[in-house]
Amino acid sequence: MILRSLECRFLTIALCDAAEPWQLGSQDAATPMMQGIIDLHHDIFFFLILILVFVSQMLVRALWHFNEQTNPIPQRIVHGTTIEIIRTIFPSVILLFIAIPSFALLYSMDGVLVDPAITIKAIGHQWYRTYEYSDYNSSDEQSLTFDSYTIPEDDPELGQSRLLEVDNRVVVPAKTHLRMIVTPADVPHSWAVPSSGVKCDAVPGRSNLTSISVQREGVYYGQCSEICGTNHAFTPIVVEAVTLKDYADWVSNQLILQT
Amino acid sequence: MAAEAKAPSLAEEYSLPPQEAPVEKAVEDKPQEAESIAVTNDETPQADETATAVEVNPETSEVQEVADKSEVEDTNPAAEETTETAEEEAEEKPEIKIETAPADFRFPTTNQTRHCFTRYVEYHRCVAAKGEDAPECDKFAKYYRSLCPGEWVERWNEQRENGTFPGPL
Repeated sequence: MILRSLECRFLTIALCDAAEPWQLGSQDAATPMMQGIIDLHHDIFFFLILILVFVSQMLVRALWHFNEQTNPIPQRIVHGTTIEIIRTIFPSVILLFIAIPSFALLYSMDGVLVDPAITIKAIGHQWYRTYEYSDYNSSDEQSLTFDSYTIPEDDPELGQSRLLEVDNRVVVPAKTHLRMIVTPADVPHSWAVPSSGVKCDAVPGRSNLTSISVQREGVYYGQCSEICGTNHAFTPIVVEAVTLKDYADWVSNQLILQT
Repeated sequence: MAAEAKAPSLAEEYSLPPQEAPVEKAVEDKPQEAESIAVTNDETPQADETATAVEVNPETSEVQEVADKSEVEDTNPAAEETTETAEEEAEEKPEIKIETAPADFRFPTTNQTRHCFTRYVEYHRCVAAKGEDAPECDKFAKYYRSLCPGEWVERWNEQRENGTFPGPL
């Protein structure tokens, strides 16, 4: 019985793509980018724990041995060349070991190396988002555009997350290179989806690019990450990843609805 | 014989029918020449960014792969299903082509503002040089519509009408 409940608690395979109460750690990765971020976090944590153990050992040892009772006459050593060299070189080697994977990840994240298959524009407004799918346009006026508002606090249906759900989700194909163009129409916003490892500031008068490639189908939640006014907390982002075929169907349906 | 036809091996499934092979080869040789010419042409106009410069930005295999996959997925299901989906698709409307503006090495940064602006200017210079209906300008139109927020395009269109557009048209 206990084993069973433990199993339920720790061995569930359902992946976590939204924030949950009292969550420690990241949400499960949906893109290679997020996987890289999580791996880097674990890499760095190795050094953090090493340093923590070493420093606390020194601290406790110093307090234990060198106090008035056990050691009434203090030593007067003020200089030691060897130890000074060691404590300068060693930390810089540690920093080097942290810097290498860190920069590798950083530059792999903003590489514009592959041609994307789809461009989606996320336009921040006070306080909703507009999404434009303009790859299928044949004129400036006609465009697949929709607004994405939050579901109000007193309105969610059973199973919807409070203040995380929106009325129109961004539908994207899985396993496809996407180009997100992020820009606001009024004040600065930020388009962030933790599972995808994406946080892109929207700056007025400028359009920012971020590339994602969602690896599995699912619904991913995020929130506005740049303080944008009164309803900053009520501007969530919901990305729904579907198969490429379903995506094509969705687009053609939307195009019919709009015309 | 019938059993074989029902369950072909993996290799058979993916191999081309024998009659088509020679035809394919004959076709294959020519595009390679054409490509090499295109590449040599491409080097020179890159320096001066005139609108008339033919930008050869071949879609990568990535995008084509994606498109191919969708086609394969369409044709894959069992015989009964294919007839149904074929009927549905016949009723169904605009064919969705999964492609967008390619990555441009003039704009490798996060900031894509200039990418959008440049594509917009390129389109209008192309139209100015080749005429309103020139088919070679269509791709620039596709690119800037993909990259620019609708609001910006509207504003720039207005500015062009008023003659206050700040770019080199």
